[in-house]
Amino acid sequence: MKRIVVVGAGLAGLVTSTALAKDGFDVTCVAFGVGGLPLSPDVVESAPSSCAERSVVAGSELAHPYAAIGSDAIQTGLELLLELAGSDLLTGGPETSVMLPTALGGWRPACLYPPSMAAGASDGPAVIVGLRGLRDFYPGLIAGNWGGRAAMVDVAPRTGEATSSPLVFARFFDTDEGRRALVKALRPVVQNGETVGLPAVLGLDDVNAWRKIEDALGQPVFEIPMAPPSVPGWRLNNALVSAAQAAGVRFRRGVKAIGVQQADGRATGLVVASAGHPTTLPADAVVLASGGLKSGGIVMGDHQQFHEPVMGLPLANVPEAPFVADVFAPQPAYLVGVRVDEAMHPLDSDGNIVCSNVHAVGGLLGGSDRSRELTSGGIDVGSAVAAAEAIGGELA
Amino acid sequence: MSDHFPSATPTAQPSPSRHTAEPSPYRHAAEPSPYRHAARNEVESQHQARSCDCAQDDGGWTAQDGGSAFARARLDQCLKCTICEASCPVAAVTPLFPGPKFVGPQAERFRNGESVDHSIDYCSSCGTCTLVCPQGVKVAELNSQARAVMKADHMPLRDKLISQTTLMGQVMTPVAPIANAALAFQPVRVVVEKTVGIHRHAPMPRANSQTFEAWFRRHRRAYPVTRPKPVLFFHGCAGEYFEVATSKMSVQVLEYLGYEVIVPHHGCCGLAQQSNGLFREASAAVLKLCDQLRSAGEDLTIVSSSGSCTGMLKHEAHEIMGVDDDRLRDVAVRTRDIMEFLRDMHDAGELPLDFKAINMTVAYHAPCQLKSQGMGYPATDVLGLIPELKVVESGFACCGIAGTYGLKAEKYDIAQAVGHPLFEMVRATNPKLALCDTETCRWQISQSSGVPTRHPIAMVHRAYGL
Repeated sequence: MKRIVVVGAGLAGLVTSTALAKDGFDVTCVAFGVGGLPLSPDVVESAPSSCAERSVVAGSELAHPYAAIGSDAIQTGLELLLELAGSDLLTGGPETSVMLPTALGGWRPACLYPPSMAAGASDGPAVIVGLRGLRDFYPGLIAGNWGGRAAMVDVAPRTGEATSSPLVFARFFDTDEGRRALVKALRPVVQNGETVGLPAVLGLDDVNAWRKIEDALGQPVFEIPMAPPSVPGWRLNNALVSAAQAAGVRFRRGVKAIGVQQADGRATGLVVASAGHPTTLPADAVVLASGGLKSGGIVMGDHQQFHEPVMGLPLANVPEAPFVADVFAPQPAYLVGVRVDEAMHPLDSDGNIVCSNVHAVGGLLGGSDRSRELTSGGIDVGSAVAAAEAIGGELA
Repeated sequence: MSDHFPSATPTAQPSPSRHTAEPSPYRHAAEPSPYRHAARNEVESQHQARSCDCAQDDGGWTAQDGGSAFARARLDQCLKCTICEASCPVAAVTPLFPGPKFVGPQAERFRNGESVDHSIDYCSSCGTCTLVCPQGVKVAELNSQARAVMKADHMPLRDKLISQTTLMGQVMTPVAPIANAALAFQPVRVVVEKTVGIHRHAPMPRANSQTFEAWFRRHRRAYPVTRPKPVLFFHGCAGEYFEVATSKMSVQVLEYLGYEVIVPHHGCCGLAQQSNGLFREASAAVLKLCDQLRSAGEDLTIVSSSGSCTGMLKHEAHEIMGVDDDRLRDVAVRTRDIMEFLRDMHDAGELPLDFKAINMTVAYHAPCQLKSQGMGYPATDVLGLIPELKVVESGFACCGIAGTYGLKAEKYDIAQAVGHPLFEMVRATNPKLALCDTETCRWQISQSSGVPTRHPIAMVHRAYGL
């Protein structure tokens, strides 16, 4: 059985690992900590139909990653993500585009999103309800910007603390007792015909807790994402990790990838810093899903020198001045990344393949300001599929 | 992880030709910045200066500097992302512990030799927070250090007693049946709870009439030596006095694989003292152990079936207590958990696969201190090679005991709540057997779930027909 090592357990790493394991490879997913999903609001924002043919981003010497990935891989990736997450956790599709409310009461486009957020896209009267003791959720702010009424209710998830973490609330709503308490508190403040917007803490392990609350209340309910910890992000993370494990992916957490062992121009293993001594994981192919500048997959040194820390991959779009003073303006640093071909092989500046069995996916790819463009989900799942298909072809 | 050890192979350093720009003059990302280096060197030289004055070889720990300056230097990497808060098994079940970020990177900013937050005593030191941190913040290490400082001038007698694991073994072994009967006798346990503070229902080890080393001296190997180099077996204090069967099976498997096994007389790694904040005593114990292990040969692989003691040697003594000593470094790089050792053999194509089938489904719980060593799940990898054996990994962070945490009267209920879903899962999977790599976790799971729990080497031993 051919062995693949994937570095990173965010969206790109988990989808790549699972796709390869389903194809019959022996996959080890190496991660320094938990991946980035628990920090995300759990929506894939951009419908590929609107951006598969994205042009070069201003200031980039590279084509947008979508050009190398291609719209077929993006579409396949989104469909795979829907399948892995399951219909209780994600809905929508490659051609869907709905607008959902944010924690500040703004609008956010969504292509794939949790069913628990779906009613946020509907028109009509709404009430945004906060939970006393839950920090960082302000119904007045949301209602003022987005619309509807604002209200607060008291639901103490456990005694002995003045404020509780969103996870404590979410675990409370996993229980019948917690859901009953919430519905009882909501009844007096919700008016007939109103849709009810609540902070996204409606159950952690029970992915249908929100439906049970909706059924008991008898009125449509939707979740609004909050600042981290993102409960919907944890739900998606847990579901994708379970799907990966079910497909046979082995996880090695708490280790940093510190090198790629090579012989005759090919990778033969990944070196990780495990406790006490470094370990080399034998590999027939290595996939770097280690993320971009915000995730440690690309590192900026004390003198603004950019560096890919696992194997020193060539980086494109390295700017003279990485950041501009206006924090709301596009930041050149975010375009830095790896140039790839259609098989997601990293390329040097002359377009030559760096190492024929090393692939780069996700946030590591240069030429995109992912957060600003809302293309991060499309790049992650699309490049995952493109790399998995290429490896399947190369190692078959 | 192992940032203070020489990192990896030459491939770890990017070759200059791979850079788009000129060859990078910058450090490897895993290295601390010069500023942190300076801070660490300063503390290290203080350590060295002090250790000259110390009669005891304990690394010169004092309550003022807590422990490893390296762990403290990681503090500013914290982004407040809350991944550790969400993953903490203790904060999930009690409001008494406000969470690892709160008492760790946040409170640490206010500490200057003084304790600012006493809720840190409710941290169990399971290390889940450090394991899940995407930024490399040593959250658990910071918390352990801060707790040691907090407890330094009023260490409870109970915590001094329960960390004397070797003494317990020495006292109990000669009178094993009586000691076991006394610890199973509830009126005795009630008195112990009222006077010392060890919960009446907390799991207790069972003493053996014969120590492992006594058995080893008399045993005769059944298989010829076929490997060029011997291995050194590190039994730990639990493996010497209480979990003697696990140590015996480990040696028998290693001998079956053709290794000559060497066991120098040795003592405790000091882990129980470390987790109770007795850093001075624990540092002395771990360095004494290093001397004992090194006496048997300085280039032999050290194999152990005490999964948490290997963690103490590999990284905890350095990263939590700041022990910075070439003897420890030498032992740390050579130490392997026994399942890790077998998995490495398999990866190298050297593990015989003449396993007999075991038709069984069994729950396996990877202990928190094993997970924090960054070696994945070697037990499930190896047991997966045994025909017809189905091993179900628990998926839970911690069983609750965390060394001695769950023994303490005021923390017993928390430890039980932490472990509750695991106990249910273990019972539902197989009511007759469960597997786990570390001693106190096995005692906790056995006692709380009612399911006898053994080291995974027992399955390898059985599948090889030993």
